[in-house]
Amino acid sequence: MRLKQRIPSKTNIPTSSMSDIAFLLLLFFLVTTKFRKEIGFQVILPEARATERIIKTEDLARIFINSKGQISVDDFLVQPSDVVIRFRLKIAENPAMIAYIKADKRVKYNYVDQVLESLREAKALRVIFATEFKEGLGG
Amino acid sequence: MPILSKRKVPQEAEIPTASMADIAFLLIIFFMTSTVFMREKGLKIALPEKTDQVVKIGGERVIRVSINDVGEIFLDEDPVATFELKEKLAQRIADYKAQHEGRDPLVVLRTNVDAPYEKMIEVFDVIKQVPEAKAVSLASIRTGG
Repeated sequence: MRLKQRIPSKTNIPTSSMSDIAFLLLLFFLVTTKFRKEIGFQVILPEARATERIIKTEDLARIFINSKGQISVDDFLVQPSDVVIRFRLKIAENPAMIAYIKADKRVKYNYVDQVLESLREAKALRVIFATEFKEGLGG
Repeated sequence: MPILSKRKVPQEAEIPTASMADIAFLLIIFFMTSTVFMREKGLKIALPEKTDQVVKIGGERVIRVSINDVGEIFLDEDPVATFELKEKLAQRIADYKAQHEGRDPLVVLRTNVDAPYEKMIEVFDVIKQVPEAKAVSLASIRTGG
């Protein structure tokens, strides 16, 4: 019997479609990414230990209050009375809307209070005060 | 020299695609690492509904935490420091519950309109850390008309 010489078999991993998959992933993330256009104000947020993460970020409607007490909603400089109208519309569009107040920590409480009153008037009752995590224990 | 030239072997054209995947994954990783996620976080509160009806709450049911125009904190009428507020408030609530068959008192955070917002958040944070304080509401104090 003649022994056949073994030919070393070539293993082949098909890598030609790998790039397709990678580009597909790239495109998917490019398309699904939502860019936030709102600029608002640059504010220094207060710090709090009881700060919670917010999971449903798509329901948030941001209100900026800067250190001078100016109020910005949807990148419009507004008066507290305008907040009522804007938030009535927002709450009509999305009843699960949460007002997210990004107020500068140096601002007088008066401005925040006016916004809160306006929100009550607009029946936007779910409110979150934007804060930063506070370091350290206790308190 | 041969008379007949050799027959031309058709050359196979090839585009190297093996590294294409590497490039694509590199791009993905680049975008993944360079993306900054906006982490939204804060303190939650539910505002009371605005109605024409006046809801009467017994004065003794209310525990008032007040902040004056210069940022000093008062628990009912007594001045307190931020660090001791948590303990004292918990004690006050426990006392109320013991006296009123376990009913929850209402904690009202009254802030002077001239007080800095930072102070209000600081106190609100402390109240949030007291698990017994279930009903919290916000109010403002206006001085001088």
